[in-house]
Amino acid sequence: MAVVADAGVLYGLVAVGAGLATGLAGIGAGVGEQGIGAAVVGVVAEEPGFLGKGLFLMLLPETLIIFGLAVSLILMFAWTPFSGIVTP
Amino acid sequence: MPVLRLPKFGKPVKYAYITGRVRAMKTKLIPAEMYPRMMSMDTSEIARYLEETQYKDEIDALSKDYSGTELIEHATFANLAKIYRKLLKVSIDEPSFLILEYLRRWDVWNIKTLLRGKFYGASDTEIMKYLVPAGELSEEHLAELAKKESIQDIISAFDRTDYSSALAQYDGKSLASVENALDKLYYFRMERAVGGTLSVGGGLLLKYVRREIDIRNLITLFRMNKAGVDAAMIQENLIPGGKLFDELSRMAGQPFGEFIRGLEGYPFWSSISDVATADIDAISRIEARLKAYLIRYAWALSNYHPLSILPVLGYMVSKETEVANIRKIVMGKEAGLPAELIEEQVVVA
Repeated sequence: MAVVADAGVLYGLVAVGAGLATGLAGIGAGVGEQGIGAAVVGVVAEEPGFLGKGLFLMLLPETLIIFGLAVSLILMFAWTPFSGIVTP
Repeated sequence: MPVLRLPKFGKPVKYAYITGRVRAMKTKLIPAEMYPRMMSMDTSEIARYLEETQYKDEIDALSKDYSGTELIEHATFANLAKIYRKLLKVSIDEPSFLILEYLRRWDVWNIKTLLRGKFYGASDTEIMKYLVPAGELSEEHLAELAKKESIQDIISAFDRTDYSSALAQYDGKSLASVENALDKLYYFRMERAVGGTLSVGGGLLLKYVRREIDIRNLITLFRMNKAGVDAAMIQENLIPGGKLFDELSRMAGQPFGEFIRGLEGYPFWSSISDVATADIDAISRIEARLKAYLIRYAWALSNYHPLSILPVLGYMVSKETEVANIRKIVMGKEAGLPAELIEEQVVVA
């Protein structure tokens, strides 16, 4: 079988993709959270009892990072599509 | 086709804190079903009830010096000023700017109260009772102004401010022209300030201000048309800038029945249709309905843009109405008015 790419380059690209998956998910969650966080602080300033609910609402966008992280982990450790086409 | 306006990236976030906060503050307002119950309480019971609400600090602090109706009058205005100042303190940038611009109406109120007080020779402590230091003029500054000897001294204290042109209209005989000029100045400044902001809520705030001017003009029309004042005199008293200004100014001086028939079909008509009849005796009943309509309108607008100045505006309008309602109930009771008459004037949105 012909060698289409160097294993080092391919694994490097996979690593970049894994980084982007978690990083971009983090940025997205951060953008989502900025408004929620500010609003929650505003409400808690008036109603301290709202802190628990507020924190829960604020952490909701955070769950999206888990998807990004899962994709990263799959890319790094479980996904090996190149095993047949790269030289060992 | 309506143009879809996307919020600028990061911009509505400036409003997240203040809107979250006013929505929490809104839950602390006195619920509508409390007003009928307050009607059956006596003044000390009302004071005790207010002590359980957000008026606690003011009632506690002022109960040393005042009691009964006076206590509630002082406490409500003090609380109103405190809440408005708090809104100013906890907001930044554009929200803060717009809130201050809205609150200048209390500066206008204070200047009017000062002039009226001096005009009728009230003492400075008497005048201070009715001042609400919620705008730009601080309490100390107002106290200083209240101590001035004459109206002319007060007017000259406002030299080189925006108010000087309006105050220059004072002719020494009546205050009506000055008060009108001050109102017009307020709305002129408001429009200029709101027009200068580019955020999504700015346009809707302007829409609200225009509607408010219309409603104020409409109330003027109701009163003056009922009294049979002639058209030119009424038109002089109307505030320019409202959306329906031209249409409303054409209605000035019309016979009352014809005037009311002409109002059918306007958006506010459904709120007053059952009380606005040609033989109505109390315009205050229509006034209360129109004010309630305005509050509903402000909150309805805030649903279009939850992250904008509009929820803050809705709260400020609701709070002002709450204070006015408490005062109406307490003063009405003091004056011995029948409960139905007071109930008609209480604004419930």
